[in-house]
Parts: sequence; C-alpha cells; structure tokens
Amino acid sequence: MNRILLVDDEPDILRVLGISLRADGYAVLTASSGEEALAIFARETPELVITDIKMPGMNGIEVLREVKHISEETEVIIITGHGDIDSAIEALHYGASDFINKPVRDKQLTIALKRAQDKIHIKRQLREYTATLEHKVEAATREIRRRSNFQGKLIRSSNDGIVATDEALRIVIYNPGAERIFGYPQQDVIHRMRIQELYTPEIVDLFRAGVMEENGLKEFPWQETSIVSGNGENIPVRFSGSILHENDRKMGSVAFFQDLREIKRLERELLKAERLAAVGQTVAGLAHGLKNILHGLKGGSYLVDLGIKKDDTAKLKSGWDMIKRNIGRTSELVLDLLTYSKEREPEFEDCFPNEIAADVADLLAEKARESRVEIKKSLDPSISKVSMDPRIIHNALLNLMTNAIDACLFDEDTGKKWQIDIATTLEDDNSIRFDVSDNGAGMSNEVREKLFTSFFSTKGHRGTGLGLMVTRKLVEEHGGWIDVISAPGKGTTFTIRLPFEAAGEKRQNPAFDRKL
Amino acid sequence: MGKKVLVVDDDPDVRLFNVTVLEEHGYTPLVATNGEEGRNLAKQEKPDLVILDVLMPRESGIRLYRELKTDKTLKHIPIIMLSGIAEKSFLRSQKVLAEFGDATVPEPEAYLEKPVEAEDLAATIKKIIG
Repeated sequence: MNRILLVDDEPDILRVLGISLRADGYAVLTASSGEEALAIFARETPELVITDIKMPGMNGIEVLREVKHISEETEVIIITGHGDIDSAIEALHYGASDFINKPVRDKQLTIALKRAQDKIHIKRQLREYTATLEHKVEAATREIRRRSNFQGKLIRSSNDGIVATDEALRIVIYNPGAERIFGYPQQDVIHRMRIQELYTPEIVDLFRAGVMEENGLKEFPWQETSIVSGNGENIPVRFSGSILHENDRKMGSVAFFQDLREIKRLERELLKAERLAAVGQTVAGLAHGLKNILHGLKGGSYLVDLGIKKDDTAKLKSGWDMIKRNIGRTSELVLDLLTYSKEREPEFEDCFPNEIAADVADLLAEKARESRVEIKKSLDPSISKVSMDPRIIHNALLNLMTNAIDACLFDEDTGKKWQIDIATTLEDDNSIRFDVSDNGAGMSNEVREKLFTSFFSTKGHRGTGLGLMVTRKLVEEHGGWIDVISAPGKGTTFTIRLPFEAAGEKRQNPAFDRKL
Repeated sequence: MGKKVLVVDDDPDVRLFNVTVLEEHGYTPLVATNGEEGRNLAKQEKPDLVILDVLMPRESGIRLYRELKTDKTLKHIPIIMLSGIAEKSFLRSQKVLAEFGDATVPEPEAYLEKPVEAEDLAATIKKIIG
C-alpha cells in the first residue's frame, strides 16, 4: 500500500484531504510546513508527496526540490492556487509529476494519484528490469570470457597444428602444434604472415577459391599431403580445413594439420619388420618343403641303387617313380614361388568367364571321378563376353577346384556322396562372382585363419602351402577379393569377386585403382 | 621274423623308403598313414620301435608322440622322430606344451632330420633295438 506525505499550512485542508485519502486506502502522513515535511520524509520516505505550493517559510517548490534531491523516484504532486500557471510550470520543471488546482476536487485528485501510481509502478519495473539486465549481462560476459579462455586453451593445447585466418586470409590463430610442424615461432606468424608463406600452393588455392569464389569448396576433408617447414624440411601431414561463415558472411578460414612424421617412420619400420618376418617365414617354410623333397629324392635313389644291385626291377621302378614324383613336387613348388614372388599386372582381354569355368571343370573331371567326387556347374547365362584377365580366372578356379577335391578326399565321412559346385553370378554392372563349394572335410576356425599364409598346408606331402596365397595374390591384383566360409565336416565355399570391363575395354592396373 | 617297427607317415614316398630300409635290414615293418591308424596299430601290435613324422595332416605326429609317451602300456616303446622340422624346433614345441600345463614327456630316443641317408636310419634303429 502506498504511503502519502501531505503537506499544507492550512490544518483544515490537511484534515479534509487526509480523511479523503485514507478513505481511498492510503496511509497518510501529514506535515504543516516544508521543514516538518522534509523531516518526516527523511524518516519515512513515502512514495508520494502532495504539497501546497504557497506556504510560509519553505514553500512547495523548495520541498519538491529537496525531496527530488533525496529521492529521485518519489512522485510529487503540487497543489497550486487558482491561475498560478507560472508556479505550476516551475514545479514541472523541477520534476513534479503533476499539479492540481485549489480547491482540490476528489475527481482531480484521483486522476493525479492514479497517474502518479502508474509512474511509480513503471519506474519500479524499469529499475528491476535494469538490475536483472545488468546481472544477466555480467553473467553472460563471464560465460563468454570463460568459454573464450577454454577455447583458447583447447586450441593452444591441441596436438594438431591449427591455423586460422580472417577473411583476407591473414593469419590470426597459429597454435603451438602448428609451431611444431611449420617451425616458425608464433610471433613471426600471427598478423605477419599470409597463408602463401605457410601452405603449399595447392592448399592456398583451395582456401583462396573457398573465400573468394561463390562456388568454391567450403569444406576440405582429411587428406595426406606435405608442407615445407621453416628450415626447408618436407613434412608429411594430414590436412583438413574449412571456410568459416557467420550467417552469409565469410569470416575466414581454419586449417588443421597432423604431423605424420612419426607415423610414417613407424609405418616404414613395420613394413621392414613385416618383410623380414615374411622372409624368415618363407625361408623356414621353404626349407621344410625342400627337405621333404630331398628326402623323397634320396629315398628314390636308394631304391634305384638297391634295384640295380639286386637286379630287382620292381624296386628299380618304384625308386624311379619316387624320383619322378619328387621332381614334380619340385616344379610345383618352384612355379608357385615364382608366381607368388613376381609382381604381375593383370592383362585384360575379351573372354567368356563361363567357358573358363567349364574348362576348369572338364580339366579336373578325371581326377574328380577317381576320387568319387561329382562336379556340378551352374553358370549364369547372363554373363557373356567381357574384358578380364582369363589366366587369373583359370588359375584361381583351378586352384580352388583342386582344393575342393582334396577336401572331399580328406573327408573322414566316407559314406557321404561328395559333390563340388562351381557357380558364376553376374553381381552387378562391373563384377562377376565365382563360387566353388564342396561338401568335404571343412575347416576349423584355426585352419581358416591360417589359410592365406605362406607354407601352411593341411595336405602334408601333397601341398606346397602356397596355393591359396598365390590365388589371393592373383585375385587382388585383378582388383577383386576372396572370401571363405567353412564348417568342419560340412564343407567349404570359396567366393571370388572379380571386376570386369565391357568387352573391348582395357584396364590398366585395377589393383592400383582400388588402393586409391 | 625280425623285430616289429611301426612306420607312421602320410607321405607314401617316406613310407616306401622306410619300409625298404627296414626290410633290407631284417626288420618287420608295420605301416600307418595317419595318427589314428598309428595309435591303433601300436596298441594292437606292441611294436619294438616307432618311426614317426612330426607333421601330418588331420592329426599331428606331435599329438601321437605325446599319446604314446604317456600311455602306460606303450611308453616303453622307443620312438625315432623323422621330420623336415629341425630338432630344436621340435624340442622347443615340447617345452612350450609342458609350460602350458600339459604333461612333460621324455625326449624321443632319436631325432632324424630329413633328408636322411638309408645307412644313418639303419644305424640309428640298430643302436636302439639291435
């Protein structure tokens, strides 16, 4: 409830107005002089003052000025004599909120009070609003400072080199990570260097197009490249970047660089270690294979010697057979080794994959019959003349089919009716799928994991341990891949997918294409 | 009838060679082409000696070797390992298996690396079983 200080030197007016205001619900304080009014005001600070203008001693204008001096927000209503326009103007000048003429009418008073009330209310709201606003601005400023600090620290502590520019491509951020890569100290770069002095021309062009041109790229995904550091060293890096926008306006650019020197060094070492391990494995495996062959040759000569000595033709013959078999094993091993070690680019030429598959099946028909294995073909009739390397298809299928027959031969479940399926499928516009399935011995997980490694063979004396490795190498050189699924006792399916070109088209080095 | 010698090898050339050497020196060869056959023959025939290949498909010679050397009724039978694998690789594999908690088995009576001369094989057999 508002409190009103009523000031008038006439006690009757004080009394009448007091009654009227109290009746309207105000708490009323009264003073009969300006001096008394100020004393009460200082003590009680009411929100509203109604003062007569003409009083002995301190007049209404002075009360107004003092009150406003003490409390700017207090509303002061001046009661003027009839026609005293000059005083009224002066009062307004000193900040009176309103004035009413004598004799004071209730209606006039009510309107003046209502206006004063509204003003008080608006002022209070404004004050609260301002206070909240200040508080909020302060909090927001703190938060922005905190975030900016945080982001600054993030940029500083990032292991990646971070370089940002303004829209004129002047460098504004260059973190310690960038210092480590580029070799220039921060103080020589920020606001001093342009990206031309830091980046390679290709990267500069990217950013220039991104910032200057309407349809230049705005995002540059991670790519490997190299930069030249301050001391002229060529440094391999991964680079990505983007053009920064605020709404439609370009703000600048940011680039991230990852130092690949250590990774490259480790890669080189790993490669060396792998090659050494492969050489070691190859020598060990090769030695084992050769020892077995040598043993066979020695055994054969022993039998031949014995046959000659005893004039025993049977021994002579079995010894000679043994020698011939081991000569055969030698040539298989040597051929596999040669195929494996030779880098060969596929030679694409027009061919009919279905015919090649059928040829391989025919080639092995005799061996399959001997082993009581049935070969079934299901060749996709929609495959016609395409451009592929027919030698690779032939070699790979021959190897897989031979393996499939062996898998049946090794199967312990002799009650089974063994069968091999060779299937071709046109997978899409550019690849053909070849499946070679058998229902033979199958493989354990352990065997399957070692399948494509050198000199691993489950066939004992029969295998060189190189066949699948050679097959995979050929398939990959052709840009394709090889998969296997197998279950012990159930059988195995090898799947090869090989890309092809339309008949008449040649392709250079598809394996290389695929790596990119 | 000479002493019985069991030959276990998947390679027919090795089998033929071993059998011939054994016959030439008056032994009676028994032949198995895989570990399972070898185990059955060893139990049935109780041979005086076993000549065993380390690497064979399906069931490795190492497994048969360890079975023979831990079987109460068979562990007294001397064994000659005949292999393309170096002796020290074979011995290391046995040590590793023992470390993994498998039984420690005695070393074979002889270890011959392929290729082996007929005379050396014969001499080794003679040294062990006479």
